[in-house]
Amino acid sequence: MSDAAVSPRRTFALDGLMLRYAVLVGLIVIASVGFSLANSNFYSITNVGILLRSISVLFLVSMGMTFIMLTGGIDLSVGSNVAFSGGVGVVALTTTGSATIGFICALLAGMAIGWVNGVFIGRLRLSAFMVTLATFALARGLALVIYDADSINVDNAAFLWLGGTSWNNLPVVIPFVALMFIALSVLLYRTTFGRNVYAAGSNFNTAFVLGRRPERSVVWIYVLSGALAGLSAIVTVGRVSSGQPWAGLFLEFDAITAVILGGTALSGGRGRLLGTILGVLLYGIIINGLVLTGTNPYLQSLIKGMILLGVVLLDTYTQRGKSV
Amino acid sequence: MTILKKMTATLAVAGGLMGTTALADEGTLDIVFINDGHVAPYHVAWLSGFEDAIAAYDEAFSDLEVTGRWLSAEGSLEKMIQQAEVTINEKPDVMFVNAINVDAFEPLVAKAQAEGITWIAVHSPMESADYSFTLGDVTNGRNQGLAMCALSGGEPFQVGVMLGQAGNPSGEARRQGILEGISSCDNIEVVAEQPADWDTVKAQSIAENWLTQFPDLDAISGVTDGYMYPAIAVAQNSGRDDLQFYGYDGDVPIIQQMEGGNVMADILLSGTREGWNFVQMAYRIHKGEELDKVYDFFTPLVLSEANHEKALANGFPEDIEVFYVDRALEVATKGYLEFGPDSVQ
Repeated sequence: MSDAAVSPRRTFALDGLMLRYAVLVGLIVIASVGFSLANSNFYSITNVGILLRSISVLFLVSMGMTFIMLTGGIDLSVGSNVAFSGGVGVVALTTTGSATIGFICALLAGMAIGWVNGVFIGRLRLSAFMVTLATFALARGLALVIYDADSINVDNAAFLWLGGTSWNNLPVVIPFVALMFIALSVLLYRTTFGRNVYAAGSNFNTAFVLGRRPERSVVWIYVLSGALAGLSAIVTVGRVSSGQPWAGLFLEFDAITAVILGGTALSGGRGRLLGTILGVLLYGIIINGLVLTGTNPYLQSLIKGMILLGVVLLDTYTQRGKSV
Repeated sequence: MTILKKMTATLAVAGGLMGTTALADEGTLDIVFINDGHVAPYHVAWLSGFEDAIAAYDEAFSDLEVTGRWLSAEGSLEKMIQQAEVTINEKPDVMFVNAINVDAFEPLVAKAQAEGITWIAVHSPMESADYSFTLGDVTNGRNQGLAMCALSGGEPFQVGVMLGQAGNPSGEARRQGILEGISSCDNIEVVAEQPADWDTVKAQSIAENWLTQFPDLDAISGVTDGYMYPAIAVAQNSGRDDLQFYGYDGDVPIIQQMEGGNVMADILLSGTREGWNFVQMAYRIHKGEELDKVYDFFTPLVLSEANHEKALANGFPEDIEVFYVDRALEVATKGYLEFGPDSVQ
């Protein structure tokens, strides 16, 4: 299989993705206008800052989830991994007093869980769902053990800086997330590794026969997702000035929702990071707006489900149209 | 009230809020309640009491417009923090926050107070909060344990204790109290302690496992009545009509099973009462009344009259306040009797 055959820019699915992005942008505009009419505070600088900060962690883990879902995989452990790697980082910080060591340990801990996932899924060819379901429980259990089920306060300014600092209501984590988006886009679209991601998702066996070593790519993709979970943990600790054993609970479901909203196919091989960014943004705007307008939580779940169902139906409809 | 009616009512409240957010004079009292979840019957009663109280206070005081809304974080710390941040930006008068973990909310308490918002920490006390609305969890748990001691009959007695989510301060305090109470007698053996994470489905699995693992189990104790529903059902399905239950929350269906049933004791919180007490507390703060920084919600033990007499005969302390079933049911369902507008006029 040549690069051209698996490149996202040259497949016929691109039109479908562009349509999806147009729909997402339209929904973002409609939701923003609607919520701002319902509550003028929606467009206030303070609220925009709150909105962006609240979805910064979702941005990070969703980008990792996009890589994984492009291979046809899934990672149910990212939320638990955020708690686990945060715990390792905070304990390292409090033990050594060094923010740098804390950062490194959090990243390494996240990558370790990712590596376990990657080896079992990529090398041993076990089901991604089953493996990450196991590490979902494993990482949460480790977090509870590390924290002894209680939170740990953090007052190290350097460690809290990324998640807790704002410049004129702009959380510093936002430009950081933008840089990560650019870096990961280069990795996905401009490198052999990125092409291998699409190849593994399009047809694993074919990619293997063609010598693309997809099993190796899969390991590194899960390690990447783990590293992003580690970064998310650092952001989360900064946001709440403490390490929390229950951080990241159900985060994986929000990330999967955002990635699917963004047009990445569950079967793999199709999707782009831009779609995920739009998916996260739409998801965040809806959550923020529903809270701001005091909408009943029952209706909030209903509305979120309806939007997801609508986008999936639209996706199915457009794909069937192409087939016909 | 059906879910549809609740949705309609809340939409009406939301619509009312949209029309009133511009008002900021002293004639308004805007109360927001952020809860950690909305999954148990207790939560439903809590919300119902809160909404009924908002409507009652709004109607009772012609010079004051009382509005309120509630948010559920669905167990997610991140969602709760986002909800708190958005709410602070809306500048309500009073925020009740049942934090998943209080340490995570310390930075937000300072922000809320800078905006002139009164922050009330619910169940798990916070030093930095303006007020902490507490339940006396250790005392309540101890009373439950003492009741078990007095009603266990002095014979060897095995109990399993279902706990809350690991690390939750309120759940830990209840556990501490229950174990303290039980430790006052020698005949009771705690054969298992297991967190059910406030989850009724997990509670059902735990009850099933315990009945298999401990065939001589005599009682199940829980830190919430939410565990009692599945535990009672599992016992009935297993033919264990002799199994006793010791609850905590004051859910009406559980109290109703005390006369002639196997529920031996409960702690009368009652979601309905608590919802009404929130609004009364907010009103009193709004009027400038000085309240205790740590506000203790009155939570008596509930026993049937027959069991109370039996317990007293077995050395149960006379100074522990006990409500019998009829009185407990009336108090549990009619929050306005204690905390309605008449209570502050």
